[in-house]
Formats: sequence, structure tokens, C-alpha cells
Amino acid sequence: MRPARAIALSWGLLVLVAAAVTSPAVGISRDEGVYVEAAGSYARFWPEALRNPAGALAAADRFYGPNHEHPGFAKGLFAVTRTVLSRALGLTGEVQGARAGAWLLAAFLAMLLALWGFELAGPWGGGLAPALFFLVPRNAWHAHPAALDLPVTSLMLATTYAFWRSTSASRGRLSTAGWAVASGLLLGAALGTKHNAFFLPPLLFAAWLLGSFRGRQESHGPASEGAIGTVRGHRFPWALVAMALLGPAVLVATWPWLWHHTVPRIQAWLGFHLRHENYPWMYFGSLMREPPFPISYPFVVTALTVPAAILVAMLGGVVQSVARIVAAVRGRAPQVSIPTEWLLLLSALFPIALVAWPTVPHFGGVKHWMPAMPFLALLGARALVRTGRLLWPRRPGAVIGALAALAFAPAAWQVAHAHPFGTAAWNELAGGAAGAATMGMQRQFWGDSTVAVLPALNVHAAPRSRIWFQETPALAARQYQRDGRLRGDLLVAAGPEDADISIWQYHQEFRDREFRTWTELRTARPVAGAYLDEVPLVQVYARPGFWR
Amino acid sequence: MRLRTRGSLWPPRDVAWAALLAIAVAAAGIHGLWFQAALPGRLPSPTDWKAAASVLSREARPGDAVMLAPAWAERAREAFPGRLPFLPDIEDLTGIRRVWLLSLPDAPGGVGRFPAQLAARSASIERPLRLGELELTRHDLAAPALPLWSLTDRLAESEVDAGGATVAREVREVAFLPRTCVLARWPGPVSGPAVIRLPPGPVGSSLRLRAVLVGDTSTGGGSASARLRVDGLEVARADAAPGRVSWAPSTFDATRLPPAAREVTVEIVPDGILSRGVCVELVALP
Repeated sequence: MRPARAIALSWGLLVLVAAAVTSPAVGISRDEGVYVEAAGSYARFWPEALRNPAGALAAADRFYGPNHEHPGFAKGLFAVTRTVLSRALGLTGEVQGARAGAWLLAAFLAMLLALWGFELAGPWGGGLAPALFFLVPRNAWHAHPAALDLPVTSLMLATTYAFWRSTSASRGRLSTAGWAVASGLLLGAALGTKHNAFFLPPLLFAAWLLGSFRGRQESHGPASEGAIGTVRGHRFPWALVAMALLGPAVLVATWPWLWHHTVPRIQAWLGFHLRHENYPWMYFGSLMREPPFPISYPFVVTALTVPAAILVAMLGGVVQSVARIVAAVRGRAPQVSIPTEWLLLLSALFPIALVAWPTVPHFGGVKHWMPAMPFLALLGARALVRTGRLLWPRRPGAVIGALAALAFAPAAWQVAHAHPFGTAAWNELAGGAAGAATMGMQRQFWGDSTVAVLPALNVHAAPRSRIWFQETPALAARQYQRDGRLRGDLLVAAGPEDADISIWQYHQEFRDREFRTWTELRTARPVAGAYLDEVPLVQVYARPGFWR
Repeated sequence: MRLRTRGSLWPPRDVAWAALLAIAVAAAGIHGLWFQAALPGRLPSPTDWKAAASVLSREARPGDAVMLAPAWAERAREAFPGRLPFLPDIEDLTGIRRVWLLSLPDAPGGVGRFPAQLAARSASIERPLRLGELELTRHDLAAPALPLWSLTDRLAESEVDAGGATVAREVREVAFLPRTCVLARWPGPVSGPAVIRLPPGPVGSSLRLRAVLVGDTSTGGGSASARLRVDGLEVARADAAPGRVSWAPSTFDATRLPPAAREVTVEIVPDGILSRGVCVELVALP
């Protein structure tokens, strides 16, 4: 096996196994509960459609009705893995079964990073790039849930990689035209996962345009010799044509809800996101409710959540990329592919810049600009490798290995330390969860930390107690019950007024709920809790007599 | 010579940039390792919490309260005796004689501003008691404000003409902090003000009236005012409007009134349709 493939397969396997092993400790977040439920419904569609093709259209509306705020591809994958692992084989519960689809996409992302890292910087690049991505605690956390942010990140990376291969000189079995077709199909899968993939074709086009300015560089370089067409002397990548044709086709094909009233439903889907509610979000002690939001937000949150040494490597990679472009344009670096540099650089910066825009919703932590992270990882890996080669040309591996150890050891420690509370992870520059709490940053989101108090609830809650789960939706509570994680006799309460036990998940914007709990349950003293570095994430309150 | 030296240093060679990046990565990595390794030693253990709870169980008395530094260290609520109140901030110390400051002196991010503010309002400060990674310090307040009475405490004995509202004692969020108050809510159309008549009694030297809207801010507008009447005469008013989130009181100086039992009435007047609750508190100081 070729070294690149061996490294990629090793990384894919490692991420898959690690995600599967550590997943049960990760709680069900608010969105995930909906997606798992939707996957259950979608799973019933395809057998029905195959059995009765004439009734497929009617069945599409029936089974794809749940959760049409987001498309069908990733949730369809969750449906497949859930059906196979949970229903057919009985190996997992329904939640872990659905999550397996997300683990596969996380493994796919790791493999792509290894392959691309290898092409950019050799074996060390292939080894380092996935580590730079997955040893960021929030990225590692997102590899677990059956949600959409890591899957779309993975598919956007895959699309970009296919685009790059389609525009580069042919190497390997697949022709550059084949890569162009692949980029169209992958874009469709990305669009079929989450709407932020719509930004990808313009971004790729912009990178292509910028890359066409060569300055004093004489040759075209290696990243513009593939599937390139010419119209009136202007060169263009065929991949963009494939994306325009195949992307929407795959989106519609993998989302049967669009098979009826296609255009109005696409309008409704995009309209929902264009007018999306701004959830309140804490930032340096202020609750951001309405735009304009601070431009600094994604930059600062990135700087305070990515482990510092990895952050430095990524910043080094960005600086190196800029320097390579400048040198190439000045005619001093003939070996540099300017289109490749622009592709990596824009892909690394645009998602962050997009969320920095003051009217774009700022909730959700790093997940909304996660598509930038693989590219920052690639740039960081290449920068570390180049550093090793420059500092000790005869034994670069010694330097690279030492730097990798110094960068990854504290990061791996942070990942393990924050697990399973990934959305509450802050880096050492922030002072960890404690320092971030003092600064008044968002403590966590959306209800997954409840999983940490389920064992106590199972032991101590009085029979048939009514539980107010707050940010953990009733759907998730029932999924915990069906998977045997939560006692089946416990009931879901709608608020503190009819609750015997209240599971308060710390959200500054919902603090009134905790205080209402004190009034209704006549106590301000929790009976249990979950803490990260002594910072409360969850506190459980109980009426007298309901906690035994 | 100088030109040659400058020429060799600028522009920096690639190897210089590489060295800079290597040093930065190494420094950040070593700092990260140190931070993770040192973190458990900077935070209290279960034993520390138990020790602090034991001290407070033994030494706390009526009129005492606990203040946390940093404010997020609310594991204390779970660990400490339930009868001890927790102070959400330094602004309102009404009814408190002594404050037990519980701090995490080595916690990342520091202890915040409370210790210094509390020290400024204290007559004496006991020597801090170190309990592992917790520190317990007793502050005896210089001028404790012990109320004669409060509206929340006397609500049960008051005559309430609710005007279509529900009126109850509750703890609600005001500027992210818990405040105990009398909450008036109009679940249906507003039919009139809610009027609370307290039994006649002394009013002391001053009356402090507070009113603020609480509850879901997304549920719409509407405002209200709380009007304080003494012997039928309006003497103070506190306005509660959507954009105004303040627990600062409107104060009526009662020193000019001859000492006698006074009839005190609080009128909560909604202005139009009011979807949120009005949180009102009145305190009489001696």
C-alpha cells in the first residue's frame, strides 16, 4: 500500500474507533435529538419507496416531514447506520446507531486531511494534519453527535479537495475530469447536509480568479493543468460546471421532501435560514441578542478554544501561505502553486470572516466556522514540516517530531480533560473553563451535559418523578429511555411548576429558569451536579421527598 | 559593517522565520502542559468543600450570608448548609450582618472584584482560613442595613387587591442575578392595578422601592410602575420598562414623618398590555 493511503487509512480507523468508544459519554444535544428522530422516520421511507414506487411521492412527504429545516443527505446516512447497527444487528442503541454515520464522516475527514497533508508536505504532513484538527477539543467533540456541523465540514473539505485535484496535473487513477465530476457530486452531498455549503462554489471561483494572477511567475504551476476549459481566452475549471449541474441534482435526489413543490420548498428552506432567529449568546459578560454583533467574535473565540500550540502552528501556516504567494508573485518562488495557496488560504479564512459579519448569527460557538478548521490544520501541518526541514535539513524528522509532541501533548490532554463536555472547552489562554467563566463567556450549549447526571437521577429520583429537562428536549429524554440510559418510569415535565426534579443547565440567558425553580421547588440547594474545573454545567434541584 | 550586519538580518531568512515558529510552538506547548498539569492543584477538591461546609455549619449564625469569589463557584450551593443565603452581588447587603467570603484564590481567571468591594464595606475582617484550595474569610459589615420589614416578608399578612393579576413572592432574575420580590403578573387582559395594603406599622427612616420587569424578553413590550403611598399620599415611584434592568431603589426619606404607625400601600400599575411580570420589592430601614 502506498504510504499516503496507509497513513490515511490509519487515521480514518483511529478516528472511527475513538469516536465509537468515547461517544456514549457524550450527551444528546438539542438539535441531535431532532436529527435522530428524523433519521428514524427517513429510514422508513426508502424500504417503502422500493416496495411501492408509485406511492413514493406520497411517502416522501409523510416520512420526510420531520425536520425540513435541514436537508436529507447526512440525516439519510444516520438513518442507514441506525437501521443497520441498531435495528438489523442490534449492536447499538438508536442514538449510537445514528451517530455511526457521523463517525464515518469524521473518519472520512481524517483520511482526506491525511491525503492532502501528504501531498502538501509529505508523510509528516499526512500524519500531522488530522492531529491538528482532531486535537482541538471542540472539533473532537463534534466528531460524536449525529449532527450536521462536522459532516458538512467533512464534505466541504472533500469538495474542495476534488476541485483541487481536478485543476491539478493528472496523477493517480482518476482523471482530472473524473475529479471534476466528483467535486460536483460531493458538493451535492455537502448541500444535502447543510446550507453553508452554498458558499463553497463562489469561494472556489474567487480562489481560482485570484490564483490566475501570477505576477512575475512565468509558468502556470502545478495546480492549473487539469480539467480546465477556455472561453474566449479565459480559462475556467470544469469542476465549477459540474458543481452547478450535479450539486443541485444530488441535493434534490437525497432529500425526498423536495420531490414535491421543489422550488417553493427550496425557497422556504433558505428563507428559514435567511431569517434565522438570533439566539442570545454570552461574550465577555454581555448577552448578544440582536445585531450588530462584534466582528471580533469568531476570531477571539477561535483564539480561546484552539489549544495554544496548535493555534500558533495554524497561524504560522497562514503567514507562510501569504509569504509563499508574495514570493511567487514576485517571481522568486517558481515551485509555488499560486492557485493552491489561494485555495488553502481563502478556505481557511473565509468561514471565519463570514461569521464575523455583524449581521450573521453568532450563536453556536465554533461550529459555524468549523469548515475553516481543516484548512488551518493543513496549513499548520505544512508549516511545521517546513520548519523542521529548515532548522535541521539532515534530520528534519527530529525537529518535526519534537514540535508535534510539544503541540499535541497539551492538546490531547485538553481533549481528554474536557470530554464529554466539548462545548464547554476553553483553552489555556482563556484559563480553561474556569477562566472563561470569569470572563463571562458562553459556558456551554445545547443540553448535552445532562447526560452526566443521568446515573444520579436513575439512583435517586423517586418513582414516577416528573423531570424538567430544560435545554435537553423531551425527544432526547425519550431517546435516553429507549436506549436504557434513563429510567423508564420518569416523566417529562413542561416547566418548574409541574416538576418534581429540575435539571438546570447553566445558560446565562436562561438564568430566570433556575430562579423560578428555586421558587417552585422551594429550595436553592442542588442535590447533584456536573462540573468542569469546578464550573457548574448542570445542577439538579428536587422537591423535598423526590430525591432519595 | 553596519550595512552588512543589517543586510544579513533583514529581510529575515527563511530559517529565522522557522526558528521563530518553532520557539512559539514550543513555548505554547510547554505552557499548555504546565497549565494542564497545574490545574487540579489550583481548584478545590471534594475534601476542601466538605471542610468549608463543616466550618460554616459550626460558625454561621442568623444574619450571616455567603459570597462567592469568583461568582461562578456555585458548587458551594450543593456543598453548603441550605439555610445559609448566598449574596449575588455587593450592591444589596440588606439584612446581612456578616459575610463569609468563599474564594478560590488560585483559580484561573482570578477571584473577581467582590473581595475588594466587600473589604471596603467591612468593619473587621478575620484572618483568612485556608482550606486546601478554598479560602474562607469572615467580614463583619461596617454598617449593616437591617430592615424593619420588607414587602416580601409581609405579603402574607397584607391585603391584596390583585386587579386581575396573580401576586406572589418569588425569586426572579434581574440583570442575571436572583432577586426575591413580589411578582405581579397579568395572565389575561389588564383590568386594573394590583394594590397591596400592608398592615399599619412603623416605616423607619427610609423606604426603598424597587421595580423591574422580569421573564422572557422576547414576549413583547409593555411597561409598569410601582407607586408607594404612605397614609394615602404617593411618596415614591419606581418605573419598570423593557429597556431598564436595574435593581437600584427609589428612596423615600421618612425621617420627617412623626413616629407613628403608618398605612403603607404599594400600587403596581401596568401601562397597556403587559406580557411580562413585574418584580417589586419594598424595604423599610430603621
